[in-house]
Amino acid sequence: MGIRIHRALVGIALAVAAVSVQAQGTIRIGLVNEATGPNAEAGVYTVNGARLALEEVNAAGGILGRKAELELEDNQSTNPGTVLAFSKLFAQKDIVAIIGPIRSTQTQAASPTIAKSGIPVMIGGTDPTLTKVNNRWLFRGRPSDSYSSRVIADFGINTLKRSKWAIIHSTDAFGAGGMNALVSALKAQGITPVLVQGYTNNSQDFTPVVLAIKKSGADIIGSYMTNSPDVGIFAKQLRQLGLNAEWVGSSSVVTDTAMKLAGPALHGVYSIADFTPDANDESKAYTAKYRARYKLDPDVYSSWAYDAMKVLALAINNAKATDPESIRKGIVGIRGWKGVEGTYTFDDKGDGLRGYNVVKNEGGRVTFIKHIDFKD
Amino acid sequence: MQRLHPPTLVFIGILALAAAIVPYLFPVSSYVVQMFMQAVTYAVAVLGMVVVLGYTGQINLAQAAFFGFGAYGVALGTVGGGLGFWISLGLGVGVATFAGFLLGATTIRLGGHYLAMITISFQQIFDLVLVNWIEVTRGPDGIAGIERPSLFGYVLEDDRAYLLFCALVLYALVFAVWWLPNTRLGRAMRSVRENQLAAEVVGVHTLRTKVVAFALSALLGAIGGGLYAAGFAYISPDNFNFARSVEFLTASLLGGVQSPFGGVIGTVLIVQMPEWLKQLPEAMRFIKDVYLAVYGIGVILIMVFLPEGIWGLIKLWRGRFAKPVVTDTSGIAPLDFDVSGKNGGVLLKLTGLAKHFGGLKAVDGIDLEVQRGTVHALIGPNGSGKTTSLNVVSGIYKPTLGSVVLDGEDVSQTQPHQRAGRGVGRTFQNIRLFATLSALENVMVGAQRDRNPIQGGNRALRARAMSALQFVGLADRAHVIVRNLPYGHQRLVEIARVLAGHPKLLLLDEPAAGLNQTEKMELVELLKRLRGHGLTVFLIDHDMGLVEKVSDRISVLNFGRKIAEGSPQEVLRNPDVIAAYLGTEGKVN
Amino acid sequence: MQILFDNLQVLFQGLALGSIYSLVALGFVLIIRATNVVNFAQGDFAMLGAYAMVMFFTGLEWPYWLAFIASLVAMAIFGVIFNYGVYYPLRHRSFLPVIISTLGASIFLQNTVLAIFGPQPRPMDKVLAADGITVGGVFLDSQYLVILAVTMAMVLFTYVFFEHTLLGKKLQATSQDKDMARLLGIPVALMISITFIYSAVLGGLAGVLVGPILFVSIGMGSIIALKAFAATIIGGFGDVTGAIVGGLLLGVIESLAAYHISVPYKDAYAFLALFIFLLIRPSGIFGEKVSEKA
Repeated sequence: MGIRIHRALVGIALAVAAVSVQAQGTIRIGLVNEATGPNAEAGVYTVNGARLALEEVNAAGGILGRKAELELEDNQSTNPGTVLAFSKLFAQKDIVAIIGPIRSTQTQAASPTIAKSGIPVMIGGTDPTLTKVNNRWLFRGRPSDSYSSRVIADFGINTLKRSKWAIIHSTDAFGAGGMNALVSALKAQGITPVLVQGYTNNSQDFTPVVLAIKKSGADIIGSYMTNSPDVGIFAKQLRQLGLNAEWVGSSSVVTDTAMKLAGPALHGVYSIADFTPDANDESKAYTAKYRARYKLDPDVYSSWAYDAMKVLALAINNAKATDPESIRKGIVGIRGWKGVEGTYTFDDKGDGLRGYNVVKNEGGRVTFIKHIDFKD
Repeated sequence: MQRLHPPTLVFIGILALAAAIVPYLFPVSSYVVQMFMQAVTYAVAVLGMVVVLGYTGQINLAQAAFFGFGAYGVALGTVGGGLGFWISLGLGVGVATFAGFLLGATTIRLGGHYLAMITISFQQIFDLVLVNWIEVTRGPDGIAGIERPSLFGYVLEDDRAYLLFCALVLYALVFAVWWLPNTRLGRAMRSVRENQLAAEVVGVHTLRTKVVAFALSALLGAIGGGLYAAGFAYISPDNFNFARSVEFLTASLLGGVQSPFGGVIGTVLIVQMPEWLKQLPEAMRFIKDVYLAVYGIGVILIMVFLPEGIWGLIKLWRGRFAKPVVTDTSGIAPLDFDVSGKNGGVLLKLTGLAKHFGGLKAVDGIDLEVQRGTVHALIGPNGSGKTTSLNVVSGIYKPTLGSVVLDGEDVSQTQPHQRAGRGVGRTFQNIRLFATLSALENVMVGAQRDRNPIQGGNRALRARAMSALQFVGLADRAHVIVRNLPYGHQRLVEIARVLAGHPKLLLLDEPAAGLNQTEKMELVELLKRLRGHGLTVFLIDHDMGLVEKVSDRISVLNFGRKIAEGSPQEVLRNPDVIAAYLGTEGKVN
Repeated sequence: MQILFDNLQVLFQGLALGSIYSLVALGFVLIIRATNVVNFAQGDFAMLGAYAMVMFFTGLEWPYWLAFIASLVAMAIFGVIFNYGVYYPLRHRSFLPVIISTLGASIFLQNTVLAIFGPQPRPMDKVLAADGITVGGVFLDSQYLVILAVTMAMVLFTYVFFEHTLLGKKLQATSQDKDMARLLGIPVALMISITFIYSAVLGGLAGVLVGPILFVSIGMGSIIALKAFAATIIGGFGDVTGAIVGGLLLGVIESLAAYHISVPYKDAYAFLALFIFLLIRPSGIFGEKVSEKA
């Protein structure tokens, strides 16, 4: 009898010790990041955004009363690198959730690994299929391309009142996915594009593309282009050959680099943007904080990571536990939370945002035009 | 080729096995297992580089494309195709081998820079097709959910089991590639690498050898790719682009491209290096940022300071402890000759033979007969067309007009290796040996020509080669790398290389060039012995003393035409001949 | 009528891009003739020239003409460094180690520039202020007109230099037979250095000229160089006229095929053209028969 009580006491003591050790420990969140390789610049912004959110979370009392910590892992801007980076993070048993890549192909590459690991991962890839392929551990911190294409179509048809569409897209995963989504978004409105034209990244000459648009008689261009130099060359040749159709593009047409390269050729072009500094109160506040902290203007690479970090903190705090199932419940339970990219309401598939801002390049400055949101 | 001794082999074997079962003995993270999986599957592809670049000397900048054929074979076959791993792998490997065959076939006329460009183009087109032909390749999204193979009913789902499986495949292939150089094919490959023209002339089908080398390289690349795809369960085009080809090339060069062990070492280093750089102390982190730049410099430095890679260094170090090889010269069979003939007395008949280069008529209509069993010399002043004639007879040039008839058979349009297969052997004025092969291996290449009447495999070739070396008096130097032999000995090895192939007709291109007086005396003795065995010799030389001593008959050329013919005494007294020589340089020694 | 204009427009673009290939190809050929090796870093010469221009013009804000000259001078100096760092230590070896060495140099140059300037592509000013002119429905970009003019001028200059100056003849002698040149008292090492300088300047010039159109980026040289190399083979390996004609031809083939057949496979046409040439006429348009002498 005495021995039994003794054992029970020891057991309780151990349990108490374990809890107190845990309470002192940090909550670790992984970040798969493009630290090297061709997208290294974007990687810097991503870390900046996530860090800013982390500091705010910790200042507000941390997660479950514990300090949160980021563990960075480089993916060298490549697909195989991403798979390796994820395995390396999964190997560390105390990492409870991960902020994944912003690029769809990288996410696609790592998706089977993530599914096997059963760790919640916030992703920024906008390919609609990512959250639909039986992987319950992917949660999107950005609106998917099915919304970007619907916003482009909606804005072009209902606001600009145009109906003869030419779709220009890169043949990579992003471009091809966007093109497909845009074609079906137009179809839903009863429109068949007069031209769908692909090109390979780093094309040196878009004359054949521009001439094809001219021949098609299109009065509006919808574009999913990946690289800034391609946007620049295309925009210049479009204007040189005298085409003045409206142009509503995916966010690549308003990136800093594209606008610098193309100059006046991109003036007057509309774009969708998930992050716009003056879209709402949250984004205005975020922009001010980011500028103060980093002496840089924020962009989508930083803002989505900022939101992703906050979503994770909120979810874990709501769930009051750090096991994967609880975190998953915490995330899909988020309703109407206002982030800098928009208002998050997660569905069971893991999609949180359903709308985009429309912006316009006015004489080299990006101005907010309107926000378009969908219910489904 | 330096052989490995049994104890070394056992040592390497134990080390390799130990490396493969490490994940079973120690708890390693899945990340480490994946790094190893990458290294092992890449290493298989790098073995292909060893075969094509290391052994055969042909540059290949499309190895990642072959790697891709294997990977996409497995991916498309198992995902959606429902074919299972083994059939899918077979298909991928088959397509890759066929592509390698085609690429190799382009070397029919082009080598060197062209080959570099052709393989790059192939690589680029492959990449473009992967990205753009979305209906089949699924484009840049890649393919996920690739199946693992099952072995004896056991699916290799566990990463450690699969790694062990890949490692065993790698070891088997390393062994095969290590064995290759000492086969007929391997020697042919190395002879092509060292001197393609000489290889062709001594009877190596150089085009076939290169095609086979490319096909083998593609096959190994595809096996590596198939294993990679199943290992990582996901592939996309950026695994198989030009940068990856350069990585394979660099890995093979770093480790040592002429040895499979070097290839494996290089691959492990290339895969692990970025990892090690991440572990650097904070102060040295900047190296990580400029990693790829350092990598570029590294390639240059390897080329300049480590032409044989790390394995070359190891070989050098091992060489310091190696005992010199003592060649057993007892029991070597005497050399026999093929002097049979059924078409009368004339062995070689040139009729109206002409070779023009643009407007230059280097050889302008020669009629000439070489009688069986004689030594026939062709002399003439510089530029008279001697060497061109010899090149036409050995098949390096095709005649513009006229014909070359050997033993009653018109061989005018045949390739040099085909003529070697019919019993034409030749040496070169500027000796063309396979510089990094041993004397014995050089002569064995000569012995393995088509239709050489010797029975048996490597052992018979070796015996034949030893006999030929014995005949020229170099049996005790059989294992010396030929570039380390004195010039006179190299000349003799070149002659032995021809003799090992049972030539009916021996063509000697200025055999006395560069020899000192003693060596010339020895050469005269050798030629007399050859004549004594009834061998037919057709030689050109400047050295009148030598020609007079050994020849039965002499023909004289001037300005591409025959101006005299007869016994040495007749010819050397012929006023036209004297005029031809004195009128130009007076080169009668 | 519109179809004719469209075809002319495509043709013009093809010629203009083709002349860039020609400029780079010319640099290729000169090095091939002097050293008998292919320089796989030739495209990066163009990239370096363009970044030198970015540094002098955009960074230091020197006047355009001064920055232009400074870039070319920098490339000349770089040519010497390249010779002694990449080619010279391997000059007695076969072509294979040298090719690989230039590949290594290419990796080094791209990543060094990446570390210094970052991955973002940069814009660059055109030589002329005017954007271009429209002639009969065809828009002629002023920069492309400059490129065409400069290419023609460089071709002419190269011809006069090699055929009618003593230095040029010495360079030719060196490229034909180094041993003979040495016997004649020509300083062969110096001649090879000069070749590298000339080739680097040509490459840099191509980069500076094409910068305003394709923008300045790390990878800008790679794809141009591949096409330029294809051009040298199509034109005839090691032949100067062949390089020029090959480059123009390739540019036109590419543009017309992209317009009439399919845009995404644009890059593949160049390589397909190369394959076809290699199979049908491996000696190229102007080359002599490929054969090895005994």
